[in-house]
Amino acid sequence: MNRWARVLVLFGGGAAVALGAELAQPGTRWAALALIGGAIAAGELIVLRPPYREAIPISFAFMVVLARRATLGEAALVLLVALLATFLVRNEPSTVEGRLALFLERFVEGMAAALVYRGAQEVFGLPMSRAQVLTALALAAVAPLAVAEIARMVRQRELSIPMHGRTADLALVTSATLMAVSDLGVEGRGGMGLWGPVVFTIPLLAAWYSYEHLEIIRRTYDQTIHALGAAPELGGMVREGHAERVADLCTAIATELAFSRHELEQLETAALLHHLGQVCIDEPDDGRAPEAVAVAQAGAAVLRGTRLLAPSGDIIAAESMPFREKISSRPSVMSGQILKVASAFDELCEGRPERAGGALEALHSCPGYLYDIRVLAALEVVLDRRGLLEDTASRVSR
Amino acid sequence: MTNRRTPDQLIRLTVLVMCGLVVALTALAAVLTRPQIDGQQLVGVLVLGVFALAATNSDVDARAGMGMSGNVMVLIASLVVFRYYGFFLGPILVGFFGAFDLQQIRERSWSKIAFNASADSLSLFAAAGLFWLIVGSGAATADVSQFIGVVVASAVYLGLNSMLIAIPVSLTCDEPYSGVLRQIAGFNAGGFPFAILGLGLGWVYLELGAAVVPLLLVPILIARRSFASYLELQASQEQTIETLILALEAKDPYTSGHARRVAMFAEYVGEELGFGPRRMERLRYAALMHDIGKLIVPNQLLNKPGRLTEAEFERVKRHEPVSVELLRRIDFLAPVAGDTTTEAAEAAVKGDAALIEPAIIHVADAFDAMTSTRSYRRALSQETAFSELRNGAGTQFKIQAVDALIHAIERRGEIYGEGHEVDEHEWAVAPPEAGTGSAGLGDLVPEEQAAGA
Repeated sequence: MNRWARVLVLFGGGAAVALGAELAQPGTRWAALALIGGAIAAGELIVLRPPYREAIPISFAFMVVLARRATLGEAALVLLVALLATFLVRNEPSTVEGRLALFLERFVEGMAAALVYRGAQEVFGLPMSRAQVLTALALAAVAPLAVAEIARMVRQRELSIPMHGRTADLALVTSATLMAVSDLGVEGRGGMGLWGPVVFTIPLLAAWYSYEHLEIIRRTYDQTIHALGAAPELGGMVREGHAERVADLCTAIATELAFSRHELEQLETAALLHHLGQVCIDEPDDGRAPEAVAVAQAGAAVLRGTRLLAPSGDIIAAESMPFREKISSRPSVMSGQILKVASAFDELCEGRPERAGGALEALHSCPGYLYDIRVLAALEVVLDRRGLLEDTASRVSR
Repeated sequence: MTNRRTPDQLIRLTVLVMCGLVVALTALAAVLTRPQIDGQQLVGVLVLGVFALAATNSDVDARAGMGMSGNVMVLIASLVVFRYYGFFLGPILVGFFGAFDLQQIRERSWSKIAFNASADSLSLFAAAGLFWLIVGSGAATADVSQFIGVVVASAVYLGLNSMLIAIPVSLTCDEPYSGVLRQIAGFNAGGFPFAILGLGLGWVYLELGAAVVPLLLVPILIARRSFASYLELQASQEQTIETLILALEAKDPYTSGHARRVAMFAEYVGEELGFGPRRMERLRYAALMHDIGKLIVPNQLLNKPGRLTEAEFERVKRHEPVSVELLRRIDFLAPVAGDTTTEAAEAAVKGDAALIEPAIIHVADAFDAMTSTRSYRRALSQETAFSELRNGAGTQFKIQAVDALIHAIERRGEIYGEGHEVDEHEWAVAPPEAGTGSAGLGDLVPEEQAAGA
């Protein structure tokens, strides 16, 4: 069953329960609550995936609609049933434990929306003015996002709140507010009933559509770069996995040296493609490997022909330069030095982690003008953090 | 002697007729409804008119089959708002604002502006008439009849608008009207959800006031911005991949431009077979990268004039599985990647394969290989290449793909091959007139004759 079939099953389930409730006892609020429950269950499978931010489901918006319509007890019951249905139907996360953890997290997020709305209602008193209704709903919409953020910090064991990709949060909060206000109206005016949430889901679905396409194109681009980087390996010109290992190490070293996200991306691309030049130049007749400088210059020339990859081309060109302290503060030169160190390290290790200590020692013993000492120091920190220098340390202590 | 009108004259005549119709309908509506414009209606026209103007001038170019038109949302909202105010001509006036594309004003394309304004107005007259009929005299802003009215009015507006716009496009491009209409209607259909959203915008405007409208506009703007980023990244990515492929093709001067031409021919076939935008995009990428495995083939072998030794041939042949392996690593291309080898594409000819793309790329690849000069022989004529494709249709090539490619090239009146090559070659050893192994077609001349050539 694909995602859309699951979405239909979940929403259809909610609609069926709503019909049953209406037939059993016409005119009660349970039919509407069942429909909202179906929307929450289905909305769990439609997630906004903005770049550099964890995905957020559009069910958060329906939770706000529920928060306005239902008492706390009703909200808890609807959430339990809706999220249980999603738990049974969804296939991500792949493990039962992961799905169970998500079920509990979502329940807390949904209840947070309901509690915040009821809390705001208590503070403002009834009847609420237009501004008070909008404020209460906006706060209720922020609540699940805040809980999700706390859950992320606990999972990742870090206290920072990254600001990238927050436009998705804004889209969710504004849409959720509008959906809830259009449902029951405000100051006795309007109120489209459940047609309101239906109509005002469209902007959210448009945002989902855009983010989805953006995500697909980014992934395709990344995978294309990785595939191109693997070409010299498939041709037997470079040891298998070299490009990926060097890219990973470069990213770790550059993170240690506080590079920006943009610089990290350019360096990672350069690392993945740093042997691309090898496929462009003639093989030496005597069977030797081509000169590293020629490989770097040929690769750099290819990348410099494109607007997006030109900065990575500069980094590859800088890789073949010897270290000069005075000019090495330029980002592309510094990145080039990181690439040079990471690539040399991987070649010395021959892809075997147990050789990390020896390879690091070999790099340190090279002439001072060859490798940037700051990069070597950062490499040491990275290797130490990964537990790859334990053998060396124990050897030294012995 | 017949006195046939030119397309420009026909377009001008169409614009004149449409403008005349708009004036006549406006006068008729004014007489029938006798509007008494008050301040509320005037403010409505101005506010929604400014929204329409802004929406028209910030529309995102939609190439992926989805319109991101804010204009249609504002126009449908104006139906709701002015039905409430009882002002039939309100949407028509808002539509005039939306017709002003600043780019067209800068270019002084007055006939385009007049055409857009009249096409919008005529579509809006039809949509507004139906909307008033369905909603009746009820002034409620949210009920089922409003929703049905908006759905019908949106469909009528988008449909009629497509029919009118298809007229000048068909005349300008000299394409059949039905084909152009299908394309424009398909594009406009993407704007349908936004048209429905017009009901929401109208409701927000009437019930909560213009100040709450941003709550609706913010997510739409965010969606549009993300969509614009997507289109920008898509264009950059395409340019990047194409530049990379071209640079890498420099390994073999004889195949310079090959990937781009194969992608173009594959697109011709895709168009003939009615591929949608996503499928077309995948076909283009896969065609562009179909020979990516050649990266691993040493330059000396690619440029070797004459026959390869068996060992050399084996090394060159390795590029096919490597191409497949590399394409498989890209999720978007993986469904077609496994079948881009010659053998698998031949299997597809028998109809076993789920997707026709590999067979299309196979035909496009063979056609370009035959009509280009290679190190082992000069370019063949287009007639010879067509004849080879026809001979292989049903056995080596998929009949559907062969027919579509030949039809597409003939329809365009384009000629490739001997005497029509775009790239000039300079070679150390001039290739023979005919050779062996042309694009997997087998020997075109007996081996002894080829050796002697």
